[in-house]
Amino acid sequence: MSLTDCKGIMVVIETADGAAKSVGLEMLTPAKEIASAKGTDVTAVMIGEGLEDAAKQAASYGADKIITVDNNDLKAYSEKHAAVLKELIEKYKPETVLIGATQNGKDIAPIVAGKLGLGCVTDVVSMKLGDDGKIVFTCPMYSGNILSDNVIDTVPQIATVRGGSFKKGEPKDVELPEEVVIAESMPYGDIKTTIKETVKEISEAVNLEDAQVIVSGGRGMGSAENFKLVEELANVLGGVVGATRAPVEDGWISRAHQIGQSGKIVAPKLYIACGISGATQHVTGMVGSDYIVAINKDEDAPIFDIANVGIVGNVMQVIPAMIEEIKKLKA
Amino acid sequence: MEILVCVKQVPDDSVKVVLNGSGQPAIDKIAPVANAFDTYALEMAARFKEANGGTITAVSIGPDEFKTSLKNCLAVGADKAYVVTDASYDGSDSLATAYVLSKAVAKIEELEGVKFDIIFCGKETTDSTTALVGPELAEKLGVGVVTCVTELALNGDKIDAKQETEEGYNTIEVAMPAVLTINKPHYDPRYPTMKSKMAARRKQIPTLTSADLGTDASLVGAANSAVKTISLSEPTKKQAGIKINEKTFEETFAKAMAVMTEAKIF
Ligand SMILES: Cc1cc2nc3c(=O)[nH]c(=O)nc-3n(C[C@H](O)[C@H](O)[C@H](O)COP(=O)(O)OP(=O)(O)OC[C@H]3O[C@@H](n4cnc5c(N)ncnc54)[C@H](O)[C@@H]3O)c2cc1C
Ligand SMILES: Nc1ncnc2c1ncn2[C@@H]1O[C@H](COP(=O)(O)O)[C@@H](O)[C@H]1O
Repeated sequence: MSLTDCKGIMVVIETADGAAKSVGLEMLTPAKEIASAKGTDVTAVMIGEGLEDAAKQAASYGADKIITVDNNDLKAYSEKHAAVLKELIEKYKPETVLIGATQNGKDIAPIVAGKLGLGCVTDVVSMKLGDDGKIVFTCPMYSGNILSDNVIDTVPQIATVRGGSFKKGEPKDVELPEEVVIAESMPYGDIKTTIKETVKEISEAVNLEDAQVIVSGGRGMGSAENFKLVEELANVLGGVVGATRAPVEDGWISRAHQIGQSGKIVAPKLYIACGISGATQHVTGMVGSDYIVAINKDEDAPIFDIANVGIVGNVMQVIPAMIEEIKKLKA
Repeated sequence: MEILVCVKQVPDDSVKVVLNGSGQPAIDKIAPVANAFDTYALEMAARFKEANGGTITAVSIGPDEFKTSLKNCLAVGADKAYVVTDASYDGSDSLATAYVLSKAVAKIEELEGVKFDIIFCGKETTDSTTALVGPELAEKLGVGVVTCVTELALNGDKIDAKQETEEGYNTIEVAMPAVLTINKPHYDPRYPTMKSKMAARRKQIPTLTSADLGTDASLVGAANSAVKTISLSEPTKKQAGIKINEKTFEETFAKAMAVMTEAKIF
């Protein structure tokens, strides 16, 4: 691919049940800013099945052009999506490709980067246009304890963007833009994997990313039985339940609740950490919370270093008392 | 079954990394360990070998010091290990690392007279956390890849890999040879024994260089890498608030409630 041919920003928007995932719409915000500063435009790309509504969503959040590749074969995410995205990049020659850093996004990005020999960065938390017209991508490293600013020398360039890092714009009441390409199929090339079975184990929708209040429990809760106290406290506060890796591994709560490096990254108004030591892999996922309350019986627990209020005590005493007090306050 | 496990040595990830005076990660006093996800990969490989027979080779691209963690790998499941060391590889990004790994695969296959059936990588490293090298290596080798694998089973000349997803899991069939990137399974890696440590100590870890691999110098190292890091910073620190630890539970609790009510958080 030659340098001069490539322009514009391609935002790959993942969909679930016909709706755009939040991170896809969030990415349109920085994409539009950078594109307008560079005098180019933003193309939303969707690969899946039944994408009409998602295409309208992308348009209402400001995509200038829309490309959908819509067919039953692409309903569930697979290696075929990577093959299609590679074709689209070669055909439409964007300068930058942004992909949401979901699990599927993190699967597709390095496959496409590898196929086309393109530079790629992961989990971008902020980006800005440098003086030389290059985008500077900020990415976490060392469990989020260090941030690196990177530029990419290849054109096109690929970045996966972490959900919650950018704010969605205001949706506008618009019809689809003039430039809409609807492709039915694209060549896949040589496909090497087959999905034999898909199992949904996690039935409840756990919306930690948008929660205002999160009450999280760790190994210090002691048992599945005691962990219910965390759920009860979350309920009285109208919040969502979070967890460290330990209770997830012990089966006290499902993986959908895990917060941290290998779980969700959250930033609620209130985060209550119960029986959590404060390992960096957990802290990286919740340190952005506005107000942190930590309950731990060990007064030297590292979680206290980032807590607004640290309560040194036994969770089995503190949580029930808190539930009572809050019920009184709310009554 | 011929198995290769790609292992990167990283600073112990239970220690918080900060920047030193010259703006670089202060890691020289942190113990070097094999990347956590690579230890999960090695354990899964060891169990797979126990079930299906074969040989496990571990490989690291990095300085001679990487032999430290490779020695440990030899004590917990790896039969052989190679380190690939060349000053020209310093500062390589993931694409360049995947390229060097692909050349190392070919060289080790030649030296050992084998063909690898499965190449294990970690899902991601705990230092650079890019999660790119595995799939990029698969593309360089022209083989299939399954990411986020937590279990696997042999199915004739194919592998059935259990891939963790956001909602549950997929069972994905992939023809061998294949690259798998490994997430934390439901078990922990084994510990070395006195005996396995002694045996590991006696094993040689051969070093391969760019001359052995025949890598193209224009594709490796910081200068030839697509991704260039221009600066590092620490995220804005969250200041600790107050810690409440009165003589009795009642006092502690009353004080905590007063502070939280004052802050209007409920
Ligand atoms: C590669 C990798 C990725 C990881 N990813 C994640 C991740 O995404 N999320 C995550 O959370 N972890 C992750 N971890 C694990 C992480 O390193 C820690 O092991 C984990 O966060 C610890 O969980 P914890 O705080 O619940 O348990 P512990 O560290 O065991 O802490 C329990 C705490 O409870 C306190 N306690 C005990 N009993 C009581 C009581 N009765 N009352 C009050 N306090 C009590 C103790 O004082 C202690 O501080 C990862 C690790 C690795 C290696
Ligand atoms: N220098 C290296 N030597 C050997 N394997 C590596 C190296 N760097 C990365 N890998 C492998 O690629 C995986 C993903 O790395 P990364 O893309 O850096 O997060 C790691 O878990 C390793 O299995």
